[in-house]
Amino acid sequence: MSESNREIHELLVDYAGALRDGCIPTFLKSLTRQEAERIASSWEFWDASEVSRILNGIGFADKAVAPNVSLFISRVDAEIASRLKKAKASPYDKRSARARSVTKRENRT
Amino acid sequence: MNKRLRNALKGITAPDVERRRRAMEPFVRATFGIFSSYLYRYLGNEVECEDVLEDVYADIWENPEQLRNVTNEKQLLKTVYLYYMRKRLREVYRRMNRNLYLSQSNLKNLIAPEIGALEMVSRSELQQILGQALSKLKARERRAIELWMQGASNRAIANELKTTVGAVKMLEYRTMLKLRKMLRYYYHED
Repeated sequence: MSESNREIHELLVDYAGALRDGCIPTFLKSLTRQEAERIASSWEFWDASEVSRILNGIGFADKAVAPNVSLFISRVDAEIASRLKKAKASPYDKRSARARSVTKRENRT
Repeated sequence: MNKRLRNALKGITAPDVERRRRAMEPFVRATFGIFSSYLYRYLGNEVECEDVLEDVYADIWENPEQLRNVTNEKQLLKTVYLYYMRKRLREVYRRMNRNLYLSQSNLKNLIAPEIGALEMVSRSELQQILGQALSKLKARERRAIELWMQGASNRAIANELKTTVGAVKMLEYRTMLKLRKMLRYYYHED
């Protein structure tokens, strides 16, 4: 993916390969300005990219390593707990911030 | 929709925050496989799938409104993709985009596009549709795609087909376009 000024077919194959290998950020970073313009103006690239996503879903989704769902659930629960905490903390923060600014103003005067 | 998923969905759309939190475990157990294999086609990476899904589930817990009228699995997947997954998928790359040449809209279309009818059919149906389309290809085109789907590199495919890497890239590109043409009916069904 390091070669520069790739033709549209090479860009598509590199995109499909990056999708298959799970390294889309590397593909995106490898794009030069001309290549990005080439992608933007090619309807063929967009059409073929749809097919590559379908092929990726059919060919590789099953081969993905199944994670420990119980562990994942505890991660989700931790995220929920953190959001709950933030939601409870935010009114207090606003109040204290207001109180601080009032004190600051009073101190200035 | 099976009973387990229906019950989980009922719990996750309850107005009470704590009840929704308790319902998250059965909901995740009933849907994780469906969501993660769907997300995999956009990310191709299990670790990123998990990271995105963690936020997706927390978003669902926080705001389950969109899931209230869901009646079947297909509708559930479509709703979750449109209202929860897509937003998170786009966020994955948003920060990175400052250093990229692709415009924001092109990046959005590439990493979290609009969904066609084909993306919403079940896995077994999709395999059948794709199998039919592949059977209409020339032997060489089919072999290239099959090898690619098995995870072979372009060089390995070139060796197998006794040609150059450049020719393989062109062959794959043309074959994908040909497949897209064969599948156009499904893309325009909606």
